[in-house]
Amino acid sequence: MSNKVAIIAANGGMFDAYKVFNIATAAAASEKEVEIFFTFEGLNLIHKQGMHALEMPAGKEHFAEGFEKANVPSIPQLVEMAQELGVKFIACQMTMDVMGLTKEDFVDGIEVGGAVTFLEYAKDAAPTLTF
Amino acid sequence: MIQANHQLDAKGLACPMPIVKTKKAITDLVEGQVLEVQATDKGSKADLAAWANTVGHQYLGTVEEGDVLYHYIRKGSNEPEVEKSFEHTVPLEAIESRKGLILDVREAAEYAFGHIEGAKSIPMGELESRLEELDKEKEIYVICRTGKRSDLAAQLLTKNGFSKVYNVLPGMTEWDGKITKDI
Repeated sequence: MSNKVAIIAANGGMFDAYKVFNIATAAAASEKEVEIFFTFEGLNLIHKQGMHALEMPAGKEHFAEGFEKANVPSIPQLVEMAQELGVKFIACQMTMDVMGLTKEDFVDGIEVGGAVTFLEYAKDAAPTLTF
Repeated sequence: MIQANHQLDAKGLACPMPIVKTKKAITDLVEGQVLEVQATDKGSKADLAAWANTVGHQYLGTVEEGDVLYHYIRKGSNEPEVEKSFEHTVPLEAIESRKGLILDVREAAEYAFGHIEGAKSIPMGELESRLEELDKEKEIYVICRTGKRSDLAAQLLTKNGFSKVYNVLPGMTEWDGKITKDI
């Protein structure tokens, strides 16, 4: 059985962020090795400012109250926790170039890599998830 | 209340926090100890059972009181790595037809979630200080989960002058008779 979980985060909304980081922290807490590859809008999720202002899907804003009521941790909290648990973040170099972003725009401790970096990691990971 | 070595308060926290907190808390326990996780996340019951199974701990069970779920997990499901050496053993099937005392030396929480009716609970770690509760004239059938702790317990009893002691094999993992719960 593989002990690696590979996640692709390709979308930048708040719901996407929860899907990515909940699975990632749960996997890490279950002693899995976890790597997340952030690409395109997914880069939002680890952007220093962006991750504090993630949007809900249009028409779903009323869920904000539910998030509060359920005492769900904030995305920045989940990001910190994921890193504490050893989840590795890889930002997609190509997307960063397109969007004019540098490593300093993101939370500390990330790595920058290309598609092959992720594929190399993911080749023996199970499961590989895309959000 | 079920006895545990440590308590973790994860009340009011949503998934995946109860799991993350449990993972951190269990590092403070030594193998064989029991952690109580208090949570209000309804999903935590299935999650913690699955988590324990994945990571290699023993999920004992959950008690619900009002809105609070009390989960019990015993750290590391592996019994001590020792060869069973106590000679006098009886098969599990024979235990109901025997006279004498069934002594269950698992942790109190393991006992609470299911034991043989009439069995007396003295966790292995407390046995030496509670010997006076036992009758040297009576047969004692020592049982645990897989037969290893009970092997050690049977040796300890013999060393202390008990002569009618038997280790019940294989143990509660294979018990399919009636189960009594204290929850």
